[in-house]
Amino acid sequence: MASQSNDPRQPSAARPYKPSIVAPQDLPIDYSGFIAVVFGVFGAMFRYKLCSWLAIIFCAQSLANMRNFENDLKQISMAMMFGIMGLVTNYMGLGPRSSPKS
Amino acid sequence: MAKRSSSSSLLISPLSLFLPRGDTLLYLIALLSIFSLLVHRLSASPTTAQSHFEGFDADEDEDLFVDDSHDAVLPPLRSTPPPISLSEPTPESHHGPPDSDSDPSIESPSSDPDPNPSTRSASTVFDYWDEDEFEGVPQHLTPEIPVVTEKATGSESDLISPKSEVSEVAVPRKLTSYSVEIVCVSFLIMFTINYFTGKKENENLALAWASKFATRDSIFDKNFSLLGVGETEDSPLLLKEGQNVFKFYASGRRFCSGVLATMELKSRHDLISRLYSMVVPCKDEITFEVYMNDDAMDQVVFALARKKLAKTMQKEAGDLQRFAGLVAPPSGRKWVAEELQVVSESKEVAGDLITDAVLDQVFGDKAFEKFGKGFISMHFSDKHMGLNKKMLVFKFALPDANNIADMTRLVALVPYYIDLIGRYKLSSQARSKTETARLKVAQEIQKEYQNARHDTLQKKKSEQRKKMEEAEAKLSAEALRKKEAKERARQMKKGMPKIKMTRAH
Repeated sequence: MASQSNDPRQPSAARPYKPSIVAPQDLPIDYSGFIAVVFGVFGAMFRYKLCSWLAIIFCAQSLANMRNFENDLKQISMAMMFGIMGLVTNYMGLGPRSSPKS
Repeated sequence: MAKRSSSSSLLISPLSLFLPRGDTLLYLIALLSIFSLLVHRLSASPTTAQSHFEGFDADEDEDLFVDDSHDAVLPPLRSTPPPISLSEPTPESHHGPPDSDSDPSIESPSSDPDPNPSTRSASTVFDYWDEDEFEGVPQHLTPEIPVVTEKATGSESDLISPKSEVSEVAVPRKLTSYSVEIVCVSFLIMFTINYFTGKKENENLALAWASKFATRDSIFDKNFSLLGVGETEDSPLLLKEGQNVFKFYASGRRFCSGVLATMELKSRHDLISRLYSMVVPCKDEITFEVYMNDDAMDQVVFALARKKLAKTMQKEAGDLQRFAGLVAPPSGRKWVAEELQVVSESKEVAGDLITDAVLDQVFGDKAFEKFGKGFISMHFSDKHMGLNKKMLVFKFALPDANNIADMTRLVALVPYYIDLIGRYKLSSQARSKTETARLKVAQEIQKEYQNARHDTLQKKKSEQRKKMEEAEAKLSAEALRKKEAKERARQMKKGMPKIKMTRAH
């Protein structure tokens, strides 16, 4: 099915692979990172433990799906900061606590 | 009293031979009391009873009167096994009542009729309770002490016992109150485990495909001279773009400049996606993009897919929308299986591209049942949207790693169609039709582009005008006059003929 008797290959025509450059704006949106930031802010501001933990979980998902190392890491690190801050404020009890013992 | 002393003597007499007497004993007792206090603090659970005693322990340490410190030691010593008992008969007789009282409490907590230990412990808690006041207190107080100490881990007197009960009840409550943490941490652990297992699974699948179709003497090796994503012969075959995206590149063949195969696998490494895909089914896909040479491809716009998908493609893909339409199966010749739909510019072209060989091998009724399960779509066009205009795009579903040979016939379609399209020339009729259609579309595009440019230019002009007007409004009258004078001078200059001057040397 491929071809007739002659070899279809043409070594002279071989061109090396050039990865297509995608502009940072055109990259697919990192939804899980965005959700992680939202939950992190909620958890830190309103002192909901569950929100902070969900932020950490979505951060983990975003990390797992990370493709481009440099671009995505900024958003993920921001989301992680929010999540950890939320957890710290919930468990270390800085300021007035909304829930009794953790 | 006599009973106590006799029992004490029986137990402690062997030790009396070894232990020192007098002041050294007291110092030793003090040291031991401090040590046991520390141990007690570290080992006791963090109940409020602890904080209750912290203040008093500080007081006790400061107190130079040894008796009190000794008394403070008593309850903790009671909770720990008695063999460490230090007090002995001879120092007892040497010292006053406090020692004698403390001694039996250390040995036998159950047989302690003396109310003083309770008062001793009480005295450590409340300084204002006088030791002598409670000499005649009835015996029912004393059994409370061992009961309390047996119950509570850190409490030392009756008053602390209710709090110890609270701490006792609070312990089982803590486990259920940690449910959020337990669930979340276990999910994170499962997520991490799934990440590594899913990653490996995807890698195995990609490698299985590559070992079947991209290694030596495989179909791609026979058709292309350069395989892999690097620049040399020994370059790696696959490029891993994400945990579920793998790319394979091949180049060096007639009619085309290269082939890029992109494998988009299920997100097995992401637990949340995995759970989602249990609800919404997903497939492992492989997409072949063949970049045709400019001179190798004639004006062909053609697509083949399952019925539903074909309709969607015809509506969404720009070139299919503009040039092509759904093609009904012609009568009088073999055609593709019923589930498939052809989208093409002309019937003639469609008929030329769906050859008998292809029908027998893959797309015919019988063959499609057997081999066509993995086929998703095929799209050939010389007017693709995007950077590369002349492209052949094949989309297949990947079987699992063990059955990777099932898609051999589908993969064989790729070089077959490269050759077919490379050699295909439109007939004059078809060409005239396609030419006119393309001219029309090209003109429309040009018009649109010009309109767009015109609009932007007009916008710019109006913006500039607005700016000028605003600036003018701000300026004073004098400045306006100066400006007008300048403008007139400029106009005059423009009107006058230009006199050129050059330098002599």
